[in-house]
Amino acid sequence: MKQVTADVVVIGAGSAGLCAAYQAAHAGADVLVIDENHLPGGQLFKQIHKFFGSRVHYAGTRGYQIGQQLLERVQDSGAKVWLDTLVYGMAHDKTLGVIHQGTHYTVQAQKVIVATGAKENYMAFPGSTLPGVMGAGAAQTMVNIHRVLPGQRVVMLGSGNVGLIVSYQLMQAGADVIALVEGAPKIGGYAVHAAKIRRAGVPIYVGHTITQVLGTNHVEQVEIAAVDAQFTPVPGTEQRLEADTVCLAVGLNPMTELLWMAGCEFCYIPAFGGHVPLHNWDMETTIQGLYVAGDVTGVEEASSAMEEGNMAGIAAAQALGLLDVCDAESRKAEIAARLDVLRSGLFGVRRRTAKQQQLNAMDVSMGGASHNG
Amino acid sequence: MAERYDVIVIGAGIIGCSIAWQLAKRNKRVLVVERDDIASGSAGATDGVVGYHTKKPGAQMELAIQSIAMFETLGQELGEDIAYRLSCGGMQPVEDKMQWEILSEIVDNQKKSGVDIRMISPQEARQLEPQLTQDIYGALYSPTGGKVNPLKLTMAYARAAKRLGAVILTQTEVIGLQIQGGAVTGVQTTGGTFDAPVVVNAAGAWAGAIARFVGVELPILPRKGQLMVTEPIGPFLTATVQCARYNVVKFKPEAVTDPTAIRLGASLSIEQMDDGGLIIGGTREFAAYDKENTFEAIEVILRRALRFFPALRDVSVIRCFAGLRPYTPDGLPFLGPVECCKGFYIAAGHEGDGIALSPITGKLLAEWIVEGKPSYDLKAFCPNRCTG
Repeated sequence: MKQVTADVVVIGAGSAGLCAAYQAAHAGADVLVIDENHLPGGQLFKQIHKFFGSRVHYAGTRGYQIGQQLLERVQDSGAKVWLDTLVYGMAHDKTLGVIHQGTHYTVQAQKVIVATGAKENYMAFPGSTLPGVMGAGAAQTMVNIHRVLPGQRVVMLGSGNVGLIVSYQLMQAGADVIALVEGAPKIGGYAVHAAKIRRAGVPIYVGHTITQVLGTNHVEQVEIAAVDAQFTPVPGTEQRLEADTVCLAVGLNPMTELLWMAGCEFCYIPAFGGHVPLHNWDMETTIQGLYVAGDVTGVEEASSAMEEGNMAGIAAAQALGLLDVCDAESRKAEIAARLDVLRSGLFGVRRRTAKQQQLNAMDVSMGGASHNG
Repeated sequence: MAERYDVIVIGAGIIGCSIAWQLAKRNKRVLVVERDDIASGSAGATDGVVGYHTKKPGAQMELAIQSIAMFETLGQELGEDIAYRLSCGGMQPVEDKMQWEILSEIVDNQKKSGVDIRMISPQEARQLEPQLTQDIYGALYSPTGGKVNPLKLTMAYARAAKRLGAVILTQTEVIGLQIQGGAVTGVQTTGGTFDAPVVVNAAGAWAGAIARFVGVELPILPRKGQLMVTEPIGPFLTATVQCARYNVVKFKPEAVTDPTAIRLGASLSIEQMDDGGLIIGGTREFAAYDKENTFEAIEVILRRALRFFPALRDVSVIRCFAGLRPYTPDGLPFLGPVECCKGFYIAAGHEGDGIALSPITGKLLAEWIVEGKPSYDLKAFCPNRCTG
């Protein structure tokens, strides 16, 4: 068993992790970034659409280009990046168990930043294990990374931004989206994404769900039905659609396994996708020196993930004594202000309330001040 | 007025629950007091090997023979499936001549008890377990070894005892014993005081702290065993398999030379559960009451597993866990009443044999308590043997 040490280890080379790594390395820390994928960038490299928001959050730039920019910045900063590398465990003292190029390492760092992101929710119904039923994110990976169409006739369940964007991208790649099915009475995602779907003539079934999928060895038919106010299917409203692929875009949940192992305290916030780790404004958890950033702290979107990464990277560097306190505090205040803007407006306010609840829970747990060891 | 019972058992592990069931069968009003939850200690964090070949020749082997005989009808008596697989076989592949000689000598002594344990060739071993590497010197094989699901078995004891009227209080810690005139009269717990003329200490690795309440120093130490479980896979193993080092570590630790193996007490123990997952162990470490898995042990155990089963390279481990076994200096449990305090019995210190020995331990302790003496002489397991 080989041993490696660093000032800062960042787990996850997505939006949050790359920003955190850059900030810490730029401040002079010896940084190691670890990701289990063979490409860095997390979800960014799958995003071929242009981002919204303000210029400082790369509005107008396509996701994969943002990923490329972040990655170059990290490489220039001197941080080391280990790809194809699995972090399989974290001990209570934050030591990491790592498999890198077939070799087993333990990695120890003064500061560990967990930016592991989120994974897709699944929905069970008869036939949901048939080949052809997959997460919308999986379909997006196949189309945009591997350039493989998962199928020709797709039923998309869920009309949040993921469901809308992936539907559009599947059509761009040559598939037919024969139905967009949404349990709620109206579409969940941004109007601009929904408009593209509408213009393309995709049949939209709001107030509906998938009741079962039929097929011998793969998806052949999808049965949908209207639902009542309690989301229970209404008998007699069933209809069957000929399809070979079902994509589930029914939300995400934070990938918190390493944080549970390490002994972090959690709270339960449905708006953030389930159990989320307690953390303070510095993004530090209930375990001293263990930071979090991005969707692992609660599912939001790429811009806030990047800002949380910036915050965690600066806070870790500051705690290592690498930054002037005044400088660090003013930069953190700027980031906090930008996060506040990102969590405002029609879609943001729910997340702002949720984040405040999480920060308050941290305050209560910490008795307002000190960390446990 | 404190509630009154015939017998209070401390600890709802596999031993405590077995005793409670056997006492309840004998119409005793039984209370089990458990600090945590049923099977929350060793029984919930172990594999399920039920074999003769891992038992120390002599008294422990004789006890194991009686215990394993009870397994044949145990599930039926308890009224539920305990995933007992009779005669799946037990095997210990041997790496070299030295291990062969050590095991052969142990086997010769074990066979004096009339059990079928033999040394076989690499070819025979691979016929029985085709996934085994060719690179072995031979193997120990015990065709009558079995396996059981320890969690299911403990829960089955507990439920059967409850059906017969036993009360199991979980999340309740014993904080003291009541003693009058040199005899135990009850226990004080975080849930109140309970009276009984007989108290059984079945607290496993924690039995020493309970014994101290009556001034008895039991030389039981917690010994950490780390294990892993894999994703479910197709049929891979029939027998329970330990590397020969398992028995060497257990019976002749001075013959182990690898310093890491000595420190961790590491050897391979592997079995496939009914659902297809493999349980892979294990270690025997002295680490006080620490139950954390260590990266070092995970590597040592998995290297050992790959040494004997190369195909495991492509199988994912999905979970690691550790349990604390109650270690005793001579490898034998403490079973029976203590001299200095009337009515206070001990049934603890089985280390890695508690699962296999749970049926007979429950039966003999219940006989001792109810009938005044057990049907089998437990002199070798006397709790006073180390304290004098």
